[in-house]
Amino acid sequence: MTMRIYAIAVFLFLYVPIGIIVLFSFNAGRHASELRGLSVQWYGKALSNAFVGDAFFTSLTIALSVAVLSSLMGTTAALALQRMKGKMRVLFDGLIYVSVMVPGIVIGIATLVALVTVFDFLNPLLAALWPEGIKPPKLSMGYASVIAAHTLFTMSLVIILVRARIAGMDRALIEASMDLYATPWRTFYQVTLPQIYPAILAGFLLSFTFSFDDFIISFFVAGANTTLPIYIFASIRRGITPEVNAIGTMVLAASLFLLMATQFLLRNKKNRGTSE
Amino acid sequence: MKEDSQSNRWLTAALLAPTSLWFLVMLIFPLIVILVFSFGERAAVGGYAGGFTFEQYANLPSRLKAFQNTMIIAPAGTLLCLLVAYPLAYFLAVKVSRQYKLILLVLVIVPFWTSLLVRTYAWIFILGGRGIPTLLEFIGFEGVRLINTQGAVLVGIVYGYLPLMVFPLFVSLEKLDKTLLEASSDLGGSPFKTFLQVTLPLSMPGIATGCMLVFILLMGEFLIPAFLGGGKVFFIGNALVDLFLQSRNWPFGAAVSVTLVAIMLITVSLYMRLTMGGKSGRDQSLM
Amino acid sequence: MSKNDDNKPISAKKFMQELRRYEKGSVTRRHFLGVTGLGTAMAVMGTAVPSLWSGKANAFGEVGDRLVFSTWPNYWNQVNLDEFTEMTGVQIQINAFGSNEEMLAKLQAGGTGWDVFVPTNYTISNYVELDLIQELDLSRIPNYQASAHNPKFADPATVDGKVYCVPKNWGTTGFIVNSKEVKSGPKSWKDFFDVTMGAASGHSIVHDYQLTTIGGALCALGYSFNSVDAKELGEAEALLIKAKPHLFAITSDYQPGMRSGDAWLSICWNGDGTQLKNDMPEMEYVIASDGGEIWSDFYAIPKDAPHQEAAYAFLNYMQDPYVQARDAAVHGYAPTDARAIALQPDSLGSDPILHPALDLMNGLEFGAAQTLTDPIRAEVMARFKSA
Repeated sequence: MTMRIYAIAVFLFLYVPIGIIVLFSFNAGRHASELRGLSVQWYGKALSNAFVGDAFFTSLTIALSVAVLSSLMGTTAALALQRMKGKMRVLFDGLIYVSVMVPGIVIGIATLVALVTVFDFLNPLLAALWPEGIKPPKLSMGYASVIAAHTLFTMSLVIILVRARIAGMDRALIEASMDLYATPWRTFYQVTLPQIYPAILAGFLLSFTFSFDDFIISFFVAGANTTLPIYIFASIRRGITPEVNAIGTMVLAASLFLLMATQFLLRNKKNRGTSE
Repeated sequence: MKEDSQSNRWLTAALLAPTSLWFLVMLIFPLIVILVFSFGERAAVGGYAGGFTFEQYANLPSRLKAFQNTMIIAPAGTLLCLLVAYPLAYFLAVKVSRQYKLILLVLVIVPFWTSLLVRTYAWIFILGGRGIPTLLEFIGFEGVRLINTQGAVLVGIVYGYLPLMVFPLFVSLEKLDKTLLEASSDLGGSPFKTFLQVTLPLSMPGIATGCMLVFILLMGEFLIPAFLGGGKVFFIGNALVDLFLQSRNWPFGAAVSVTLVAIMLITVSLYMRLTMGGKSGRDQSLM
Repeated sequence: MSKNDDNKPISAKKFMQELRRYEKGSVTRRHFLGVTGLGTAMAVMGTAVPSLWSGKANAFGEVGDRLVFSTWPNYWNQVNLDEFTEMTGVQIQINAFGSNEEMLAKLQAGGTGWDVFVPTNYTISNYVELDLIQELDLSRIPNYQASAHNPKFADPATVDGKVYCVPKNWGTTGFIVNSKEVKSGPKSWKDFFDVTMGAASGHSIVHDYQLTTIGGALCALGYSFNSVDAKELGEAEALLIKAKPHLFAITSDYQPGMRSGDAWLSICWNGDGTQLKNDMPEMEYVIASDGGEIWSDFYAIPKDAPHQEAAYAFLNYMQDPYVQARDAAVHGYAPTDARAIALQPDSLGSDPILHPALDLMNGLEFGAAQTLTDPIRAEVMARFKSA
C-alpha cells in the first residue's frame, strides 16, 4: 500500500510539469507564465512558422541519419569485434569506452575547435587550387558535422548493446548451421541476425532519441543549421511564448503515437504468430 | 584452411573500417587538437594562438568552485535519483501485475521523449516566484526562495534523469527470482533482511548501470544548472560554455576540457573496478 | 525617399493612438494603413523600390523567403516583423543574445547563418578589424538618411571612412528598483551593491557579461566604467565575488525575474526600465550618480550572411521613420533618427527615462572597444561566475 502511494507520488512528480506544459500550450495570452483563456492559436502559429518546420526537418534528418549510420556501423563493428582477440581488441574496447565516457559538451567543443582549425587551413588551399571562374567550395559546419559528432556516441552505444546480445546468444545454433554447410552469409542472415535483431532495434531507437533531443553537441557544431532543441533554446532566451509549449506537446504526442503504433503492430504480429 | 582465415581477416578489417575511421576523425583527432590547444595561449582578440606553456593548467584553480560543484552535485544527484527510482522500479518489477507492468513502465519513459529543454523550463515556472512559493505563502510560509539554488538544480536533475535510472533497475529486478524471495521469508527472514540479503545484492548490476549512466551525463551537464541555477550554480559544463562563448579563451577551455576528461576516466574506471571487476561486466554496465 | 516631408499624413499622437488600436487588434491592418497614410506611403515606396514591394510575387528570386535576425531580448515590435513578412514573404527568425561577447564568439567561430544582427557601438571597430561585417551599400537603403541621425550616437558606424552599420536606438545602462520592496532609494552603484549585500540580499540581478557588471562594480569603487587597469579590475572582482552569495541571478534577461517578484533590483537598460514601469508602476529606473554606460545600437550584416537581399530589404524597412517609431513604441528605446523622434508621441519624447536630463548623463561613458577583447576583463567576469 505504501508502495502504491509512493508510486503515485512519483508519477505525479513526473507528470505535473508535463501537464503544465500541455496546459499552457493552449494559452490564449502571449506570456508563457500567465494563463489567459484557452485557445489553439499557438499550434497554428507553430505550424505556420517556417523556422519551426525547418528546425523539425533538420532534427528529423539528422536523427534518422544518425540512427541508420549507428545501427549499421555499430552492428558490423560488434560482429567483427566478436571475432577478434589480442591487442586490437583491447584497443577497440578502449576507444568504445572513451567515446561513451567523454561528456557531450567536450565532444561538441573538441569537434568545433578541430574542424574550425582544419577548415581555416583547407579553405584557402581549396580556393587556390580551384580552377578559375568556378566558385570554390567552402567547407563549414553543418549537417555533416552534427551527424558525425552524434554518431560517435550512438555508434558505441549500438556496439555495446549488440555485443551484449551476441554474448547471450546460442552458439550451438551457429555451429549447427555451419555444420550443415551453410555459407557464412547465410548463417548470418538466417541465424545470427534474427537473434541480435532486438538489440539493433533498441540501438536504433536510442540513437534516434539521443540525436533528436541533443542540444549541447548541436549547439557547438551545427553551424548555420537550427535543430529543434536549438530553436527551443533560442525561444526560451528571447522570452518564451506558448509556441514552445505547443511544439513540445506536439513532439510528445507524436512520440506517444509512434509508441502505440509500434506496440499495436508488434502485438498483432505476435497474435498471428501464436494462432498459426 | 589458411586461405579461409586470411579472408576472414579481410572481412573483419572491412567490417571495422567505418568504425575505425569514425574513432580516428571524430574522437582521436579532436581530442589531440584539444590537448595541443591546452598548451597554447589566448590570441589578443580571443581564440587560440600557438605556443607551449603550462599557464592554462596553472590557472585551473580559478575554476575550482565549478569543479567542486560538479563533483559534489553530480554524485549527489545520482544518489538521489537512485533513492527515488529504486522503490518505484521495485514496485513495477515485483508488485505490479503483468498486465499493467508494461504500460506503467512506458509511462515512466514517456517524459523522456519531451524535450529536456521544455521539461526543465517547466520547473523554472514551478519553482519560480509565482509557483510553489506563492502556494507556500497561502499556508503561511513567506519569502521562500527555491529557484536559482542548488536544491532547484537537484530537483531538475532528478526529474530529467529519473527514467534513465528506473529502466536498468527495473530490468535487473525483473530478473529477480520470486521463489528466492519466498524462500527467504519462509526461512523466517524479515522483509528488511530479505531485502538486504537477497534483493539488493541481486539488483546490484542494475544499480551500477543506472548510476553510471546518470553520473556520466551529469558530469557534462550544462542546461539544468543554466536554467535552474540562474548562473549561480556553476558546473564545469557552464564554465566551458562560458569560456568558449563569452571570454573566447580557447586554450584555457581546452585545458578545462582535458581535465574533465581525465577526471571522468579516472573516476569511472575506479567505479567499474569497484562494482564489477571482470570484463564481462563492462559491457553490461554500459548498457 | 523622404515621404514624411511631402505629406505628413496625421499627427504623431493620432498615429500612436491608431497604432495602439492596431496592436490591440481592435482595428484591422487595412484601416490602420488607410488612416495613418502608411498605405499611401507604401504605394509610393512601391513605385520607387519595385524589387522590394513586389517581393512577395517573386519572393524566391528576389529577396528569398528567410531572414535570420540576431538581436537583444525585448528589443523589437512583432507588428513590424509581421508586416515585413506580409509585404515581402520573408519570414524572420529571431535569436536573442545576452551579450556582445557571445555574438562575437559566434561570428568568430563562423557559419552563424545570421543575416542581420545588432552590435553595440563599442564592438563595431572590432568586427571591422576581424573582417566579420560588410561595408554597407547605402544606395540599397534609401530610407536611411545620415543627416537625420544624431552624430553622437551614429558615428561609431563609420570606420576608416566606410559605413558598416545603420543606427537603431540609443540608451543608458543603470539599474531598476522595485520601490515596494526596496525603500531606501539607492541612487548610485555603491548603493546598488550595498543594498544587494544588505536589505535586498538574495533579490538582486547583475548582467551576464563583462561590460556593465564589471563596469558597475568599477563605478561603485570610484573608477572608470571602462577601466582595464589590472589593480582596479582586481578590486572590482573582489566586490563582485563578495556580492555573489547575495545575488538572485546572473543573467541579461532580467525582466522575468523582476516581473515575478523574485528579484527586487537589477542592472537594467533604460528601455527595459520603461517596459517594466509601464506594467508595474513601483519600478524605478535609476541612472547611477557615480557613472554608468551610454550606448547606441546598430543594424549590421555579417560577411557571410546567406540572405543578403532580404537583409538589405530589412534594413531599409527598419530605417523607415514610421517603422522606427512603431518599434520604439513597444520597446521604449529612443531612436537616433530625428525623423522618427518627430513621430513619437509626446509621452515617449519627453519620458525622463528615455530622454534623461543632460546633466544626469554627464557621468556616463560610452563603452570602450578595448573592453570587448581585454583578456583581464574577460577572465574577471569568468572567475566571478564560477566563484
